[in-house]
Amino acid sequence: MENAVERFYNAFAAWGVPPVVPQLIVMLVVVSVVILFISVSVMFMIWWERKISAHIQVRYGPMRVGGWHGWAQSIADGIKLLIKEDIIPAGADKVVFALAPMVVFAAALAAYVIIPFGPHLIVRDLNIGVLFYISISSLTVVGIIMAGWSSNNKYSVLGALRSAAQAVSYEIPLVVSVIGVIMTVGSLSMIQIVEAQQRIWFVIPQFLGFLIYLMAAIAECNRLPFDIPEAESELVAGFHVEYSGMRFAIFFLAEYANMFTVSAIATTLFLGGWHGPLLPPWLWFLVKTYFLIFVMMWLRWTLARLRVDQLMYLGWKVLLPLAFLNMGVTGLVLVLRG
Amino acid sequence: MNPPEPVVTEHLQETMEEMYVNMGPQHPSTHGVLRLLLKLDGEVVSEVVPYIGYLHRCHEKIGENRTYIQVIPYTDRLDYLASMYNNFGYVLAVERLMGLQVPERAEYMRVILAELQRIASHLIWMGTFGLDLGNFTIFMYCFREREKILDLFESVSGQRLNYSFYRIGGMPMDFPPTFLADCKAFLEWFKPRLPEYDAVMTDNIIFQKRVQGLGKLDQKTAIDYAISGPMLRGSGIKWDLRRNDPYSIYDRFEFDIPVGRAGDIWDRYMVRRIEMAESVKIVEQALRALPPGEIMGKVPKKIKPPVGDIYSRVESPRGELGFYIVSDGSEKPYRYKVRAPTFVNLSVLPVIGPGHLVADMVAILGSIDIVLGEVDR
Amino acid sequence: MTPEEVIQAIRSQFCEAVKASEVKGVEARMDIDRGKSYEILAGLKGMGFDYLNCLSSVDRIASGELEAVYNLSSLKEPTKALVRVRVPREDPVIRSVVSLWSTADWHEREAYDLMGIRFDGHPDLRRILTSEDWVGHPLRKDYQDERLVPYEPA
Repeated sequence: MENAVERFYNAFAAWGVPPVVPQLIVMLVVVSVVILFISVSVMFMIWWERKISAHIQVRYGPMRVGGWHGWAQSIADGIKLLIKEDIIPAGADKVVFALAPMVVFAAALAAYVIIPFGPHLIVRDLNIGVLFYISISSLTVVGIIMAGWSSNNKYSVLGALRSAAQAVSYEIPLVVSVIGVIMTVGSLSMIQIVEAQQRIWFVIPQFLGFLIYLMAAIAECNRLPFDIPEAESELVAGFHVEYSGMRFAIFFLAEYANMFTVSAIATTLFLGGWHGPLLPPWLWFLVKTYFLIFVMMWLRWTLARLRVDQLMYLGWKVLLPLAFLNMGVTGLVLVLRG
Repeated sequence: MNPPEPVVTEHLQETMEEMYVNMGPQHPSTHGVLRLLLKLDGEVVSEVVPYIGYLHRCHEKIGENRTYIQVIPYTDRLDYLASMYNNFGYVLAVERLMGLQVPERAEYMRVILAELQRIASHLIWMGTFGLDLGNFTIFMYCFREREKILDLFESVSGQRLNYSFYRIGGMPMDFPPTFLADCKAFLEWFKPRLPEYDAVMTDNIIFQKRVQGLGKLDQKTAIDYAISGPMLRGSGIKWDLRRNDPYSIYDRFEFDIPVGRAGDIWDRYMVRRIEMAESVKIVEQALRALPPGEIMGKVPKKIKPPVGDIYSRVESPRGELGFYIVSDGSEKPYRYKVRAPTFVNLSVLPVIGPGHLVADMVAILGSIDIVLGEVDR
Repeated sequence: MTPEEVIQAIRSQFCEAVKASEVKGVEARMDIDRGKSYEILAGLKGMGFDYLNCLSSVDRIASGELEAVYNLSSLKEPTKALVRVRVPREDPVIRSVVSLWSTADWHEREAYDLMGIRFDGHPDLRRILTSEDWVGHPLRKDYQDERLVPYEPA
């Protein structure tokens, strides 16, 4: 794939076109592909979550739209959301209100740059890959606070504040939990991390780190049992209570896109990325990622919601010390082995 | 004695530290149209004022303008999750006022239906309590079982929610021929379901952490506020009108009365959870002992209770359901007052609520198990 | 304590204030004077009636009076008590019993809201079931409302 891009650039250079033009073209194509992938994948995930939750709850879920097990339900929902009236509350800060979903979605989108779907199927193999993901994922909370504050609604503000507190508390164990992997590999590049797992997946030596990452990642996605920023039974819907139609859909899209991202990063860091027998690499990657997504859905429909202080307790007093322990032990083992 | 000036409005002074939040009347966790005015210090509730009456329809005034029999369908709409029990309480009050005897078989039928209704009501409570805490799955499990109880009720009365099935002096019609077998099959099917709820709710560590030690109601406050039902028993007082002031034929059945220790949300949860199993026992005993015979006693053509008044109470799934009826000897009650259990139980919320987080407030309100149709009347 | 003993004890203490009394099953029933209502109810509470089941209000329009009915019981003994207090419609004021039983709070607010009985000493006597700006007291027999459609049996 990289050869093809090289040849594309060379062809343009031969015609005497400045290199900005082919670069822009490549960028646009890649972004379109990523957005298309996100949309399709999110639609699938929403339908899938409805089916999983339904079967956990002795129901069927969507069965009508599209025929076979309601496969077209998400498409129908998407169209419905698109043609709904766009409502901005009278008391809202209109500019920030309109920007908030875009910020959230942009953050979710940017993280796809470093997801290695296969040996050559990566938008850009940044040498600071993991760091890039961590910094981008923190941006989401900015959008959430914008949404909560600009809605001019007390429930939204409470939800946004909860979200900020939660993001700060869970970012740290998340970062510390992946340091073990980075130390072992000695690189932040996603490709190199995956290639280092040819022999053994990091989930085995770094099992503790994997568990901490998974918990912190669920909290990052604001999903049950850590969905206190939304908490429909307490804050109605938290930060997006005033949003409807397409703006709400963008929040929804970003939430599911985030879910995919954290699962993909977990696959890359701990589950050996695209490695696996028989099947093509990209399929292996998707299988592992969707398995993690399934675990997240499974947890959501089984557990009750934590309270705010319990969430903080878990983050600061349980996950963070464990993450540091994991880091220390990894370092010790590395030093002992030389 | 000068009459005090009624306070109509209060000034809501918001400060930098505290803010007021209206929880309800449209809020998913107020179980209807209750409005709670919360004064929040950050996320901690420092004051809670319930505002009720959004569902007020002057039920008692309507009752005064109907004949005694015509009131029965209105009682369904009080606690609409336990309609059978409201019917039961009302017809019992009128029968006591008139001194009517109810045939054996009708008494057994009443108890069977009433206890099934208690199970159905507790199931709804359990499911919605799960929703309050963010556990969605238990809701569907509970509704699956409740659906089967409603099927049984439908086969008996033709209705699924507002049955209006009890009559003054007996029951209007006998069980359909398939009912006994269906009911037994349901009980056999239901008993193994209770451990399933335990797996999803009771044994879940997150659930336990969310409810234990919160919303404590001590015995003194409970009696002072005349709390009744599972809430009173959760506070450790062994008080059940079925046992302590027996009505109908409840003194013939063996069943345990679960009590809590700490009076927290967990205790109220466990009391209701165990009560479901106890109700199953009562229904089983009643089915075994169900005698043949008449189902309607000797009732005068026109229901005209003698002049007088009566306060009659029964143990509804939510507590002491009382009817105070004043008769002036005519066909219509002169005064008809409902002592709604959740109306009284809710009044203790401003005492046990403050000091908790918003999330716990939702759990406490859920543990009171209010039904607004009854609170607002 | 049997109902007979309850009535006897109350009568011996407040002989004038007890206008009528009867025993019905385990229930001691008394009609008492409104001037001593608080003292008598406090005395009953002292006898162990720690549980106020219900507080109802009745419009005795024929004699131009309003009536408050207290249903008392105990969680320890089977004896119950029913106490009636009548007040004239022109001056419907009774002393509040919130200080004796906190549960009376909402009951008294309801009686004030729907029947218009005022409870002297109530900490927060507001309307509870109808809206704050409601006019009149709907449960009174002479309550008129143009929206009220009389029911005529066919």
